[in-house]
Amino acid sequence: MHIPDGFVSGPVNVATYAVSIVACGLAVSRANRTVGERQIPLLGVTAAFIFAAQMLQFPVAGGTSGHFLGALLAAVLLGPLNACLIMTLVLGIQCLAFADGGLTALGTNIFNMGIIGGIGCYYLFQALKLVLPKTRRGFLAAVAISAWSSVVLASAVCALELAVSGTSPLKVALPAMTAVHALIGLGEAIITTVVISIVLASRPDLVATWKLGRNQAKKSEEA
Amino acid sequence: MRHSFLDKYSGLDSPIHRLDARTKILSLFCLVVICVSTPAQAYFAFLGYFVVLAVVIAFSRVPLGYILRRSLVIIPFVLMVAVFIPFLKSDGPSGGYSLGIGGLRVSRSGLLVLWNVLAKSYVAVLSVILLSATTRFSKLLAGFEQLKIPKIFIMLAGFAYRYVFVLVDELERMKRARDSRCYGGKWLWHSKVIGQMIGTLFLRSYQRGERVYVAMVSRGFDGRAVSLGRTQFGRADYLVIAGAVTLFLFLRIVVP
Repeated sequence: MHIPDGFVSGPVNVATYAVSIVACGLAVSRANRTVGERQIPLLGVTAAFIFAAQMLQFPVAGGTSGHFLGALLAAVLLGPLNACLIMTLVLGIQCLAFADGGLTALGTNIFNMGIIGGIGCYYLFQALKLVLPKTRRGFLAAVAISAWSSVVLASAVCALELAVSGTSPLKVALPAMTAVHALIGLGEAIITTVVISIVLASRPDLVATWKLGRNQAKKSEEA
Repeated sequence: MRHSFLDKYSGLDSPIHRLDARTKILSLFCLVVICVSTPAQAYFAFLGYFVVLAVVIAFSRVPLGYILRRSLVIIPFVLMVAVFIPFLKSDGPSGGYSLGIGGLRVSRSGLLVLWNVLAKSYVAVLSVILLSATTRFSKLLAGFEQLKIPKIFIMLAGFAYRYVFVLVDELERMKRARDSRCYGGKWLWHSKVIGQMIGTLFLRSYQRGERVYVAMVSRGFDGRAVSLGRTQFGRADYLVIAGAVTLFLFLRIVVP
């Protein structure tokens, strides 16, 4: 889903760059205020982790291969803005060091995977958490659904951008992209859920969103 | 680890390697932006971009095979999105070419779109590979820092770069352990195994991050990264940037 240069038109590039820069600016200014020196090595190592995890490819039908995206995992573990920061970093390094994803399309890629897949689906996850039962199982179900949506939504937005740019017609690109990514999304959902359940089992303190829920529960009990 | 290809040739010595990182970043970024904004019919402009890149690659002494091999990275996206375009677009009964097999028709406008995305993405991929193959990652980061990219990105990227090799090694060990026990984990329906590997990897890398932090604090880390070796941005660098941008603009505006 890393769009190379030349696939999206100038206006799309400019628009998505603008949104991405605003989001990253927010993330950076918040990180400068709240991220202590302690978190810098941790965020850096987490970025390296997402990077390494993306290298595990699994073949999907028809010669295409999928890999783990990790935007939602980062959002659930570290919060939405930190996730946006980390995805920007990962996409930037992939673009510069591996030429994976274009330079002018970097804003578009950050928009698709960091903002739609990370921040957007984080709020979907929060909404699902409100609806689903407040148990471990409900929490994991919310993780699974929003992880699947993060991949599918990002690919749908990608198809939309390609169509607006006149690269491929929407009626072909949208079904093709979303169909393949609905499959890849299954992998993403299973992987994210398993990772979160492993982390919950051994280091529940690392899951920012889980701790939050518990504290709220405690507060309401005290009240 | 087998991942050494990242900085494999950036330690060579050549006129291109000796340039300041900022010079290379700015001029190659200009090339990419100018190339992307070139209309698709300007065939000679694209030819010009490729010639310029070929000359610079020749000067840089980076093996051509290495650059071509790495440029294959755009193939998956092209295969998925672009190759069908010529068959999908239609430009009326008179346009297009018949392939003669099963009534397949290739449309002219579709071919133009395909050429457009292929040429632009290939110029851009070659430029970025050239940048990373002639500049050490640490110098690249220093260059971006001097170009006022927020400090937190530079520091995080520095950590990520240092530890990605360690983590990939860790992952390779896990993969070897998995494969030697015939545990699957290669296909989509083995996602649970992949998830368990990634979960373990996360815990290990997070704990490594905590240990690294403690080690850094005990050596005096106070939230700032200090590095030696500032580079000077000299007259030659200004000349190179100005020359490069003039050349690219000439190719973009005058040649077609």
